[in-house]
Amino acid sequence: MQQKHRHILFVLLLLLCSYSVTLAQTVPTIKVEGEVTHPLSLTGQDLAAMKRTEVSATDRDGKEHHYTGVALADILQQAGATIGSQLRGENMAKYLLVKSSDGYEVVFSLPELDTAFTNRIVILADQQDGQPLPQGKGPWRIVVPGEKRPARWIWQVSTMVVRFAKE
Amino acid sequence: MQGKLFIAVISILVLPLMGNLLLTGKGRPVYIVTDSIPYPLVYPVSFGNRINIPADNPLTREGVFLGRMLFYERLLSANNRISCASCHKQAFAFADNKAFSDGIDTVETTRNAMSLTNLLWVRHFFWDGRANSLEEQAAIPLSHPHEMGLSPDKAAIKLQHTPDYPRLFRAAFGSDSITGARVVKAIAQFERTLISANSSYDQYLKGVYTPTPEESRGMALFMNNPSPERKIRGAGCGHCHGGPKLYLELFHNNGLDSIPKDRGIEQLTGLATDRGRFRVPTLRNIAVTAPYMHDGRFTTLEQVLDHYSDHIQESASLSPVLRNNTNEPGGKSLHLTGEEKKDIIAFLQMLTDSAFLTNPDFTNPHTHPH
Repeated sequence: MQQKHRHILFVLLLLLCSYSVTLAQTVPTIKVEGEVTHPLSLTGQDLAAMKRTEVSATDRDGKEHHYTGVALADILQQAGATIGSQLRGENMAKYLLVKSSDGYEVVFSLPELDTAFTNRIVILADQQDGQPLPQGKGPWRIVVPGEKRPARWIWQVSTMVVRFAKE
Repeated sequence: MQGKLFIAVISILVLPLMGNLLLTGKGRPVYIVTDSIPYPLVYPVSFGNRINIPADNPLTREGVFLGRMLFYERLLSANNRISCASCHKQAFAFADNKAFSDGIDTVETTRNAMSLTNLLWVRHFFWDGRANSLEEQAAIPLSHPHEMGLSPDKAAIKLQHTPDYPRLFRAAFGSDSITGARVVKAIAQFERTLISANSSYDQYLKGVYTPTPEESRGMALFMNNPSPERKIRGAGCGHCHGGPKLYLELFHNNGLDSIPKDRGIEQLTGLATDRGRFRVPTLRNIAVTAPYMHDGRFTTLEQVLDHYSDHIQESASLSPVLRNNTNEPGGKSLHLTGEEKKDIIAFLQMLTDSAFLTNPDFTNPHTHPH
């Protein structure tokens, strides 16, 4: 009888384990890879601890919004990509490929993101008008101020890869 | 000087005969001398060249032919009764005509067999994108206990004892040795040749087909994003299914269920944002690939249109492109009229490529049934 109870307890424990496994949620991260000296895997906490940048830009709804996040230049700097004083010579043939978890991909050339080249600051936003990004677009979305179409405002960013254009 | 010229001439004469650059297990490139002939891939320029062919598996005529033999080879299953073609039938654009497929036993697959069309441009395979090459993909149904039930390595041992296959592998890969890796490589080579580029829609893009009024209206609805403020009616299909290939490599939750039974990509990533998220499949030959969706829940295109028009289910992971996608100011759904749905279906029928469905290069090459 006791043996039987032990069996039942074991089965219950197993069920509980499998239940907690199915509930386990992974924390979203952004990977920064490719031609960088320090590949990164950033969580929301990591990004919250970095220098915060705010920009205003007009989304597809035609309205101006305030976006808060981290400048891509700062993320690339932290990963050790060749920006700033190193953005010269053959490094001018590098690009950043940004990937969404939905499969969409967009590219930026490095000078487009470098404050030594442009005053426009492209950010990885985690807030829109002081709120988390709308459902389906978060946790992170690229915001490119001043662009006529927001087609490079890629949402659900999962990976950023620096590559050389090879031709 | 003369010596150099001689080497150059010899190189020009000999190199093309040397076959293909192959990579060894240690990643060192070696030339294996075979007399295999490169397989020419022909496709429209508009399809683009972002194609997915691993460096160690270039297409050759011999490799493609071997792959075709293997695609239709029942010896690749544990009970010698199932081949890839059992669930990927050419008449249905290499999809199955049932929601779930039978393998070597009575346990059905858990997702709908996908159409195999224009895979050359696919970079992540299966409904959840878990395999990064056709080689990796092919090994999975082969080994799956309820699909073909035989690992490629075990299948290779079986093939080694047949009269014909050692010769075919030698022609394709330079030696009689049959391995699991070579089995999936050859199948992948054949699958990369399954190119569909001759539907009425392709002919329309080339300027040699004039759509009917119904097809034209359907095409406009398919391509336009709805915009009630600008008085543009649309269904916004092209946003995810557009381009000359009618395929963009995307993965979305398309609002089938608020609480999906099959959690899709979330099963791989554990991310809540991936719940109920699946591949956005190609719409090529869509009229012949029923039933539809990852679980084959819809048997007709009418049901599919009804879903996107009126029955999108809200959830946290629902694709943003399907939220408030509406033809009415302040509306929530497309609300297409019956006529509009008929027009869109007329356009979808323009995507059928009959030449692909009957292409003799893709049929069963076995002269005797196994």
